[in-house]
Amino acid sequence: MTQGIGVAEMAVQSDIVDDAGPYDRAKALSAFKLGDLTFYWITRLSAISVLLILGGIILSLIVGAFPAMKEYGLSFLWTQRWAPSADPPVLGALGPMYGTLVTSFIAMLIAIPVGIGIAIFLTELCPQWLRRPIGMAVELLAGIPSIIYGMWGFFVLGPFLANTFQPFMIRLFDGVPVLGAVFAGPPSYLSLFNAALILAIMVLPFITSISVDVFKTVPPVLKEAAYGVGCTTWEVVRSVVIPYTRVGIIGGVMLALGRALGETMAVTFIIGNSFRIQSSIFAPGTTISAAIASEFAESDGLHQSGLILLGLLLFVLTFFVLAGARLMLLRLEKKAGK
Amino acid sequence: MSDLSVSVSSTGRAASPTLPEAPAKVTVRNLNFYYGEHHALKNINLTLGTNRVTAFIGPSGCGKSTLLRIFNRMYDLYPGQRATGQLMLDQTNILDPRLDLNLLRARVGMVFQKPTPFPMTIYENIAFGIRLYEKISKSEMDDRVEKALRGGALWNEVKDKLNASGLSLSGGQQQRLCIARTVAVRPEVILFDEPCSALDPISTAKVEELIQELAEDYTIAIVTHNMQQAARVSDKTAFMYLGELIEFDETSKIFTSPSDRRTQDYITGRFG
Repeated sequence: MTQGIGVAEMAVQSDIVDDAGPYDRAKALSAFKLGDLTFYWITRLSAISVLLILGGIILSLIVGAFPAMKEYGLSFLWTQRWAPSADPPVLGALGPMYGTLVTSFIAMLIAIPVGIGIAIFLTELCPQWLRRPIGMAVELLAGIPSIIYGMWGFFVLGPFLANTFQPFMIRLFDGVPVLGAVFAGPPSYLSLFNAALILAIMVLPFITSISVDVFKTVPPVLKEAAYGVGCTTWEVVRSVVIPYTRVGIIGGVMLALGRALGETMAVTFIIGNSFRIQSSIFAPGTTISAAIASEFAESDGLHQSGLILLGLLLFVLTFFVLAGARLMLLRLEKKAGK
Repeated sequence: MSDLSVSVSSTGRAASPTLPEAPAKVTVRNLNFYYGEHHALKNINLTLGTNRVTAFIGPSGCGKSTLLRIFNRMYDLYPGQRATGQLMLDQTNILDPRLDLNLLRARVGMVFQKPTPFPMTIYENIAFGIRLYEKISKSEMDDRVEKALRGGALWNEVKDKLNASGLSLSGGQQQRLCIARTVAVRPEVILFDEPCSALDPISTAKVEELIQELAEDYTIAIVTHNMQQAARVSDKTAFMYLGELIEFDETSKIFTSPSDRRTQDYITGRFG
């Protein structure tokens, strides 16, 4: 590549040196052609490098995870026990997988309505002077490092929830079938629910800022038309703005979901790192990324291989979730007749 | 006068013998409108006759669309815009700040410059507006939707694909869908804001025909840049210039013997 650039430069320079002669357009063009070719290859290589890096990561994950795969096979997926110091070590991914899915699910359950609600307020209802401060505050939320969220969750949010919200919910649903088991005691600083709440706060800015951006693409005349048949603001948002921007909103939600599935630091702080699956969301648990983060440094041999296999699982899980979301999007588009 | 570039079409409403003066549906008195500091409409006085078509013509920026958007208080959506004066729809003061805007807009429908089908099926586009005001059974709704689509001269073209997206229709069909949607709510007044400016000539002709039919049941105000269109569809024409109402009279009179010099200059194409 560097050779190509060199030739191109020389061609241009010689053009300047030969200034005395008539301007040679063909020569100049051939220099440009070389430049174009160089540019083409640089961009192409950049694009290909993405594929190479992705493939490399997958390959090294598979290589690293191979001993564990050979040892545990598919039973890795449905074994709950995680005992790396047993002899021989027993490793199962069920706990972390469950924790990952449950925390992300609860996080999205909270973040989607709140995030879209903020976006609706900002674009449709908010007085002009309040728009910038709120918008900036939401953007700033995205800029807070996850370790800060972790500490805040550990020292402030966790105790607060354990003293107020959790006992209230436990008492409220005491004796109710199913829900009674989901909101069961004792209250805990470290729990799946606390981690999910922190995740919800962390992914909120993604959902809000993307929703705001797509809400702004709704043509004003379309909204006027809806107001024109006598809709209230709520009806305009529900029946026109959201359907019109559905694809964009789902895109934002997918981005947020991807972040929630993989978020590590904040979750590791407040989830409790327990591999046992309990029905209550107020019980401690763990996620794939939290398990890897908290154990990888002290692991070796089969234990380390098991953790790498967990990483591979997260990769696959994220891939399927995002692929599923994309598929849903396609279906929706077809249904909308586009 | 003989060199007027706009000849009144022999088939237009205006060519028919002048209709008797209709009772006023909308009365505008000393209406002023401001975009912030900008004084956009100056002391407008006119009436829209019941079941008559009133056309508003004038060069761009003269305030005709602004005036139309006061009739259903559309300007309320935007801060800093305000109207003063009196604007009556029958006995209702449209400018009353306590007025329920949703109910006002059910009485005063609007069709926009560009077709604005909602992102839903053709059927839902019509049923949506009806549902805001009435709780009716599915079969009644089917009837109402069919009636509205017939009213919009669209039924025959879409009856087999009511569940297709409203966005799948052509531009002209979309505009007629919007008209049908407006009619479905059973308003008293329909406002057309340059309804044909995004349409081809054939679609335009269909919409114009439709407007004439609608005039039998509704009071209509239409803003248009196309003077032939104003001549073809309207009973009365208002010529506006720089935020003022210059001349308001029978359409046949405006286009044959306008009393103001500026009206004559405009309709003969000397400016605008």
